[in-house]
Amino acid sequence: MRTLVFIVLVHVVFQIIFLSSSQCARLSPNDDNLIEQTCKQTPNYNLCISSLKSDPKSATADVAGLALIMVNVLNTTTTQTLIHINSLLLQSQRNEVKEALLSCVENYKTGVLTADVPVSIEALTKGNPKFADQGTQDAANESNSCEEGFSGNSPLTVENTNINNVAKVANAIVKLLL
Amino acid sequence: MEDTLPCSYSPLPNGPPTIEGPLDKRRPRKKATLIIFSGLLLLLLLALFVAITVGDYRNSHNVHENENDEALLATSEPSSVSIPSEPVHSVSRGVSAGVSEKSNRVFADHNAISYPWNNSMLSWQRTSFHFQPEKNWMNDPNGPMFYKGWYHFFYQYNPNGAVWGDIVWGHAVSTDLIHWLHLPLAMVADQWYDINGVWTGSATVLPNGEVVMLYTGSTNESVQVQNLAYPANLSDPLLIDWVKYSDNPVLLPPPGINKNDFRDPTTAWYTSDGKWKFAIGSRVNTTGITLVYHTKDFKSYERLDGLLHSVPDTGMWECVDFYPVSKTAGKGLDTSVTGPGVKHVMKTSLDNDRQDYYALGIYDEKTDTWVPDNPNIGIGIRYDYGIFYASKTFYDEQKERRVLWGWIGESDSEFADMKKGWASVQGIPRTVLLDTKTGSNLLQWPVEEVDSLRLSGKEFDKVEVKAGSVVPLDIVSATQLDIVAEFELDKEALERTAQSNVEFSCGNSRGAAQRGALGPFGLLVLADESLSEQTPVYFYIAKGTDGNLTTFFCVDQSRSSEATDVNKQIHGGYVPVLKDEKLSVRLLVDHSIVESFVQGGRTCITSRIYPTKAIYGAARLFLFNNATEATVTTSLKIWQMNSAFIHPFRAK
Repeated sequence: MRTLVFIVLVHVVFQIIFLSSSQCARLSPNDDNLIEQTCKQTPNYNLCISSLKSDPKSATADVAGLALIMVNVLNTTTTQTLIHINSLLLQSQRNEVKEALLSCVENYKTGVLTADVPVSIEALTKGNPKFADQGTQDAANESNSCEEGFSGNSPLTVENTNINNVAKVANAIVKLLL
Repeated sequence: MEDTLPCSYSPLPNGPPTIEGPLDKRRPRKKATLIIFSGLLLLLLLALFVAITVGDYRNSHNVHENENDEALLATSEPSSVSIPSEPVHSVSRGVSAGVSEKSNRVFADHNAISYPWNNSMLSWQRTSFHFQPEKNWMNDPNGPMFYKGWYHFFYQYNPNGAVWGDIVWGHAVSTDLIHWLHLPLAMVADQWYDINGVWTGSATVLPNGEVVMLYTGSTNESVQVQNLAYPANLSDPLLIDWVKYSDNPVLLPPPGINKNDFRDPTTAWYTSDGKWKFAIGSRVNTTGITLVYHTKDFKSYERLDGLLHSVPDTGMWECVDFYPVSKTAGKGLDTSVTGPGVKHVMKTSLDNDRQDYYALGIYDEKTDTWVPDNPNIGIGIRYDYGIFYASKTFYDEQKERRVLWGWIGESDSEFADMKKGWASVQGIPRTVLLDTKTGSNLLQWPVEEVDSLRLSGKEFDKVEVKAGSVVPLDIVSATQLDIVAEFELDKEALERTAQSNVEFSCGNSRGAAQRGALGPFGLLVLADESLSEQTPVYFYIAKGTDGNLTTFFCVDQSRSSEATDVNKQIHGGYVPVLKDEKLSVRLLVDHSIVESFVQGGRTCITSRIYPTKAIYGAARLFLFNNATEATVTTSLKIWQMNSAFIHPFRAK
């Protein structure tokens, strides 16, 4: 009889622990769920997750906030690529390659960093997301422009693809706000 | 034990059961019970756990509704931004609803080489007789009005660059809607309630001559609020200086409306209960809505309980416009007019597809309700099948007409906009009238003052264009043109052409290269001599399974430029053509803007074209007929257009 009671008690305790731990999972911020839900609606789930989670602000951000984080990632990625392009320009290059590299500088410096990124940030912060839609879409196009400028022998394929993917993910998140 | 019957418990022959044996015989039975009991508890535990996780999953999609768990929850779930469970993309409503396919494709997929734009190509793109500031970015038209002999035009402007941002109100005046004079900025972002943007608004001219401007401000906390402004000096006909009401904002987002979904107030109208009313677009979840507010003094407001209109799955409604059109008279109506001879137009700009839609209906000013003529119209039909957004009308009491402005953005790359130092133009102002012949759409037509820009004209009478041919038109120059053209197909071809059940839409076609029996035919604008660059603007007639002819008009940008970083889509839409009507179109070509007005303005298409070769003296104009069967006969009148010489105002 005592054994039975003991086992019942153990079971009840187990139940309580299980229940409260599953309750705890629901009481914590829902934002892991938000990040996943959002990223599922982008064309590159893994890139989206890793980009967003690398920024601690994503834990408490709303969708507009997540879009801003992604635009920030676009900014950083483009800046790094520009640094790489500059280092390539410092090495001696064939004329066509040099021209294409300079063209890419225009795409990224003028197109993405000076225009697309600030416009997208302002649009998202001020609640007029359609301009961020255009901005991030344009950023993806600028990366295509850069890549095609090499007519097949691009030294920047990895970087351009990366920027393109980041821009497309950012654009998908922005579209959720429209 | 003695033998017992296998399925019965009849007592043993030798008396009632004896007292149970020693303890070790008892334990196995208790052990069994224990195991069963534990098993049951474990099962119960498992069931509860599953129920909770399933409930959890459902909760993330629906409103919280979980009776079992509520008692156990210490706090309720925080409900932050609700993510819709499906992506919020606009669903195509199909050609039959007058909506062309939405396409996210701006460029020709991956071949977007950044074109080496040079200054010659870029400076050619500036228009000669369309409104645009001297430089930088412009978007929505704001507060258009006629006042003391002057047409006023305000607009969203970025004083700091060729992209959207730092928005303030630009200002210009004209006596004829064509020759504009730039004035100083009317309003800048200098108050906490508009420090993050002096956004779109509308003017109301009161019967006593006062002018009231309602506009949206983005506050220091990025909340969208409505503000009141008025001219500093009503005796200044140019209305150069503006004052913001000291007690702004006059309206905050109401309960249930998101702080980022409350913008673009309309012109107010006066109703028989002695109140002024205005409308403003918003949304609740994914349903776009129009709110209405009442006021007597434009300082304090009451919100109407109901909604003037709403349509599910359309997203945020921007730049709402609401105005009367006469059912009979060929003239415009003051915004406050109502009555039996009047229909009201309910217009919206859709944030999620950047297109403008309108629907016709009946407004009851006593109950503030508007009912669409066609209950299935949804969001409505498009004003313009090309680039045309954030449009706004005003009543011109001088010429008794309603005039429509529309923002025409760029369709090239941001990089090119930065390089050329400006972005966006306004469409040529259009009069708006109800199409009394069809009763179900509006007619839009360039204001008559455009005709005053016509210089030399050339007529071409009954030019025959056989199937599969191109005819050059010998004109002096081809970048600033006003073209009026009529087309007739040979009746034989119309009758003998086989029926087809393939549904046609400009956006899903292969452009002018897609040959049908009865189309495409029309003009090639901004084309060079070798036709390496060309922009076909054309009719396409499809014969349906019922033998009826359906007419479309398209503008094909796919070969408009050798540059690959510009929009290459095919824009266009359905054209209602009544019995015995000839096919007609008016085209305004002004450098990088081409506007088409078909069948007297039943269907309009605005396009931005960026050639690299077909510019300046190299631009040509052709007739073409790429149909397989029909011969087309065309009569045209083509005028060279003068510049409007838009420049800054200089006091004498």
